[in-house]
Amino acid sequence: MSWIREGDLNLIERISANILKAGPIPKHVAFIMDGNRRYARKRQVERQEGHSQGFEKLAETLRWCLRLDIREVTVYAFSIENFKRSKDEVDGLMELAKQKFTRLLEEQENLEKHGVCIRVLGDLTLLPLDLQEVIAKAVLATKTHNKCFLNVCFAYTSRHEIASAVREMAWGVEQGLIRPSDVSEALLSQCLYTSNSPNPDMLIRTSGEVRLSDFLLWQTSYSCLVFQSVLWPEYSFWNLCEAILQYQLSHRSLQKAREQHRESQALQQLEADRSCVAELLQHRSNGTPVDAQSRQEALHSYTASREERVRHFLVPGPLTRTLHGYLLAKENNTPSGDDVPLQAVFPTITAALRVYHAQEHMIR
Amino acid sequence: MALVFEFVWRLLHALLHLHRTLVTWFRSHLWKWNGRIWKRAVAALLVPIALGFPNHKKLAPTTGKRVGRRFRFGADGKALEKLPLHVGLLIAEEEPRYSDIANLVVWCMAVGISYVSVYDNQGVFRRNNSRLMEEILKQQQEQLGADGSKYSVEFLSNGSDKQDHQVLSCQAVVKVLSPEDGRQGIVEAAQKLCRAVEQRERAAKDIDVTVLDSLLRESRNIPDPDLVLKFGAVQSTLGYLPWHIRLSEFISLPTHANISYEDLLGALQSFAACEQRFGK
Repeated sequence: MSWIREGDLNLIERISANILKAGPIPKHVAFIMDGNRRYARKRQVERQEGHSQGFEKLAETLRWCLRLDIREVTVYAFSIENFKRSKDEVDGLMELAKQKFTRLLEEQENLEKHGVCIRVLGDLTLLPLDLQEVIAKAVLATKTHNKCFLNVCFAYTSRHEIASAVREMAWGVEQGLIRPSDVSEALLSQCLYTSNSPNPDMLIRTSGEVRLSDFLLWQTSYSCLVFQSVLWPEYSFWNLCEAILQYQLSHRSLQKAREQHRESQALQQLEADRSCVAELLQHRSNGTPVDAQSRQEALHSYTASREERVRHFLVPGPLTRTLHGYLLAKENNTPSGDDVPLQAVFPTITAALRVYHAQEHMIR
Repeated sequence: MALVFEFVWRLLHALLHLHRTLVTWFRSHLWKWNGRIWKRAVAALLVPIALGFPNHKKLAPTTGKRVGRRFRFGADGKALEKLPLHVGLLIAEEEPRYSDIANLVVWCMAVGISYVSVYDNQGVFRRNNSRLMEEILKQQQEQLGADGSKYSVEFLSNGSDKQDHQVLSCQAVVKVLSPEDGRQGIVEAAQKLCRAVEQRERAAKDIDVTVLDSLLRESRNIPDPDLVLKFGAVQSTLGYLPWHIRLSEFISLPTHANISYEDLLGALQSFAACEQRFGK
């Protein structure tokens, strides 16, 4: 029933884990936990039981990941597309989620012992209010833990996430905080729900389906994709080992591809900065040619000012007090002392939470 | 103790690499012998691959017999339960072979697939666009002969202005893609939207999935890839169109070198068997 199953691996499992750990181990693994309903059909039980078993398997998998030194796990719990399911099933899933997050609040000690930080990513405004509250409480309760991280994607689709990141950047332009030319891959990544996590090294999908279903499309461009035919509630330690083995086989080529991408990204940014500077200089000098040194200096100062603008946009200083006050007030169910409405300050609650987490990290 | 584990790990990986090399060697050299014993031996070798990597499709022997096949293309296409609208060819291998890619494109067209995109993460095809086009036209002549004229192809590369009326008369559209069309494409769309917001032509809060999607779809309304055929041992999309692949089925084939029509048909049959639930 709990979020982290107690117990350890048997001897053979421990030996295999140690053998695998001699090679590269992914630091962040994403799971698409597919196959709960097929499992329920196979075992001839209720669908709800299938989902419940799925949660048990998640708890067990987290333990294995900890044992294998995988520090961050992201799971696809509920997609925005899943709202299309029957009302009974959706209500059942919401109830299950509420139960589990409430349970999380009850076993804070256990989570503190393992140092698990839980984050919930997605468009939480689509969820019933009572679930939103319990999620907010659970996230706040574990925010200071930092030994390992569990990101639960709830009411999430990757396209919504990317669109919300673009909306945030557009809001930044509207407010005059950044310019359209400041928009880059790096800035977009910083505006996603997953901005506090590195990109997943590996994505595992169970139940034999071979698609991504709108999950972390941006973040998994250079991740190792592993499709396994086992149903999620039947996932075993050996399935996980098999996936890690595949990761280790692709590791070097993926590293190379990522390096190439990083280089081309840096080149792209440099080119963009150069063209902005060229435009600026043309305006300033009114057609007279500019020497190479002043051009170089102008480039440096433009890059520095762009980075400052972006920094200011991502973690605004004076607004943190408002945010702290707002979230504390929500926690204690008291009216907020400050009268600046949060919606006026941040375009989405997730943006606010992102800033909050980043600020916490800085304070620590 | 750690040294023992490391030794075992190195041994395990050495065995896996050896296994992979042997299979590739067998496939390229011994298939032409066509002997039953060899087939069984290779099948035995391939079994661990089948167990370990259930998604990998095994390659059929290249028979080299192309006569009489051109009449089957259309029939094969119709025989499939469902045909993808848009197939993405993701070449995750170091050395791309133009003639093999051209073959694949021509076969896809002949079977009835309307859109084909070709991608590699180094941008090689994008840089050698014209060479690829020549190969495709050449293979079209060879493979389809007199019927070739029925299948007119429109080549799309970003930045070229094609008249709209050309699209109507075409049977198939081939697009050559590189990493710039992926994340960078999304960034460019975002910049466009931000500029519109700056000019007060649009409000930031109106930006949603539909707005971004229509920008990324460009004017031609090319559908998202239903099927992505990945060639190579690397298990990744390597930056291929992140926005568009949300519901694409991924089928892996070991290599595109000396690929045969049967391999493609096999992959299309696997696609036809996939069941999409769209979240329901």
